[in-house]
Amino acid sequence: MSALVDLLPHLVNGVSLGLLFALMALGFMLIVGVMETINLAHGSLFALGMYFAIFLITPQLGWFPETQAAYLALPLGTRYAIALLFAPVLVGVFGMALELCMRRTYGKDPLYGLLLTFGAALVIEELIRVVWGSAERQLPVPEPISGALLIGDLLYARYRFFAAGFACLMIGALWFFLEKTPYGSIVKAGAHDSEMVRALGINLSRLRLFVFALGVGLAAVAGVIMAPIWGVRPQVGVDAVVPAFLIIVLGGVGSLWGAVAAGLLVGLAVGLTGAYASEWSLMSMYLLFIAVVTFRSRGLFGKKSILDT
Amino acid sequence: MNDRRKLLKTAVVGAGLYGVAPFYGPWKTNRAWAQSAQKKPLVIGLTMDSSGQYAASGADERLGAMMAIKEFNAKGGVLGRQIEALHMDTETTPATGTRIAERMINRNEAAFLVGAMHSGVANAISQVAQKYGCVYLNTNSSSPTESGKDCHRVKFVWDGSGTNFSHAIVKNAMKVNGKNWLLLTNDYVWGHQTSKATRAIIEANGGKVVEELLVPQNTRDFASYLLKIQQIKPDVVATAVGGDDIKALRQQVVQSKMNMKPAWINNQQDWPDVYGLGPEAIFGVFGTNWYYKLDLPGVKEFVAAYQKQYPGVAIQTPGNTYYNGYMATRELLKAVERAGTTNNLKVIQELENLKVSARERMQHHDAYMNPVTHHLEQTIYMASYNDHPSEKDDIFKILAQVPPGDVEDKEAPAACKLETMAATPSYEQ
Repeated sequence: MSALVDLLPHLVNGVSLGLLFALMALGFMLIVGVMETINLAHGSLFALGMYFAIFLITPQLGWFPETQAAYLALPLGTRYAIALLFAPVLVGVFGMALELCMRRTYGKDPLYGLLLTFGAALVIEELIRVVWGSAERQLPVPEPISGALLIGDLLYARYRFFAAGFACLMIGALWFFLEKTPYGSIVKAGAHDSEMVRALGINLSRLRLFVFALGVGLAAVAGVIMAPIWGVRPQVGVDAVVPAFLIIVLGGVGSLWGAVAAGLLVGLAVGLTGAYASEWSLMSMYLLFIAVVTFRSRGLFGKKSILDT
Repeated sequence: MNDRRKLLKTAVVGAGLYGVAPFYGPWKTNRAWAQSAQKKPLVIGLTMDSSGQYAASGADERLGAMMAIKEFNAKGGVLGRQIEALHMDTETTPATGTRIAERMINRNEAAFLVGAMHSGVANAISQVAQKYGCVYLNTNSSSPTESGKDCHRVKFVWDGSGTNFSHAIVKNAMKVNGKNWLLLTNDYVWGHQTSKATRAIIEANGGKVVEELLVPQNTRDFASYLLKIQQIKPDVVATAVGGDDIKALRQQVVQSKMNMKPAWINNQQDWPDVYGLGPEAIFGVFGTNWYYKLDLPGVKEFVAAYQKQYPGVAIQTPGNTYYNGYMATRELLKAVERAGTTNNLKVIQELENLKVSARERMQHHDAYMNPVTHHLEQTIYMASYNDHPSEKDDIFKILAQVPPGDVEDKEAPAACKLETMAATPSYEQ
């Protein structure tokens, strides 16, 4: 019984961590699923979201000191909400520019797209260094979601509950968009048979532009949410892109619920090993990946390929 | 036709010989004996991380080395030769360290190598350096093994070691905070060796290590560790966690409001890992070997020179990593001047006999190079957060300064087996 009581907080922590991993993977999943492009700039765009959020919460407007003072007079909660809304929009615009650059790689060897996004990742990271510097930054968090909750005799950061709840909200919103709206149907159709979508008169270029912007916007949302937990530094994107990639392959490429399930599994694996076999806590996600992919190469929710039949 | 063929043969053989000529030269001096007469710039290879766990600290120590080089160049270089710094990113990865050291020595003809944050990288670089006899300064990596079992004749270690810091902090913390300790250990050589030293001191003083949790490098989420710590309820948590990992840990400890209880001891707190984190995140007691507010001669001028040279950098005041990068490079160049040559063996002899006054070191006690371990024995400071800062960056309160003799690693001389001078290849770059 005592062992179970000890285990419970780690299970809760694993689930909350899993939801955050799933949030990180959503944008990646969307872009790979629809555009069949592995966006290696996902992590850098995740980091860019963090920095845009810092700018939107504590802007340094040297030439407009009065505007800055007036803006900073707004409550932190309002500025945080603005950051959560507009940082992804700004990153989305950035993503659109990247998608325009990627167009020349469509229909060619997928390696071109991979190399282009890898190059973009390096450029974005350096850009962050140039604009914001290399030092560690912090994203301020409004009072109601900061501090700790006492559950039993254990303290747990309140922000982590907020972050996990927000991740649920984003997963639900994306599911609603993809499954219950006509735009979502077009996006899914584009992933399934892009030629047919084009034949039906849908502007495929615009669809790809939109999906890419949405995907990188989701990366930025994850960045803003993760900033107070992981901290903000130019190279933080590397910490996000590897688990995101692993999760979408583990869950099955292009599957929303696959990404969510894989995120939860990875979160539980990392959280539980962190508590009971800490030296394996990072390795556990790779072992899980190997175990699943060995027996089910298309991932947990991946569709069967014609080669499997 | 025959003539043409002969010409071609000659050309091929000539080119071949030209290509392999360096391999037939007198090994003891072949690598550039002729070049020193040409007054070519002296190349110093900066093997510092620009990416990975120690990217921020690597950038900081590079500024220190560059500053020392700039000062020497401003007064005409060393031995009448300008000094050229060549930096490559060692990526906090031992394999990259090996590759870069090979490249710098063989292709870029670096006379000396300077720089390290990560002990695994430092060890990798020093193995290559020893193979060629290239003098290498480990500026900031502080695993006790660096001047213990992984020591080399060509390598000199400039930062305090994990054992030094443990000696300075642990005994005192046991008296104040209690005897049940939990170790939080970065899962690589520095973390392991530092926690080993901490454990030995705890146990020697009647304390108990109730648990040791290993933290894989690049861990970003510490929630499970923090829950486990609360379940175990130790009196003290002693961390040997560095780089971006400690930044994330500190932030998450604050978020969980665990910064006041239990007591936290961080073996060594590098300045770039804590700069800008905010006062709440600087909790516990930690070690350092230098602070910019030490009330000692030369410190203010040193800080002013940094701020003048690097006005736009994010870290506006120099910290321990910058200081170590600067001091190591400066002492190397001084040793070359004293030796009157870049001959590696003579420079090694100079460094082995190095004594630096407290005034020159801007520390409280004289420092000296231990000739048996090649470790600079120096003053170690114990610090905590400064709740009465004189300015924004004045975030450390120095609690005590411990002379080098009191913190010396007594086991290092037995563990360190330096190669003989005769077994170390000689060169003059």
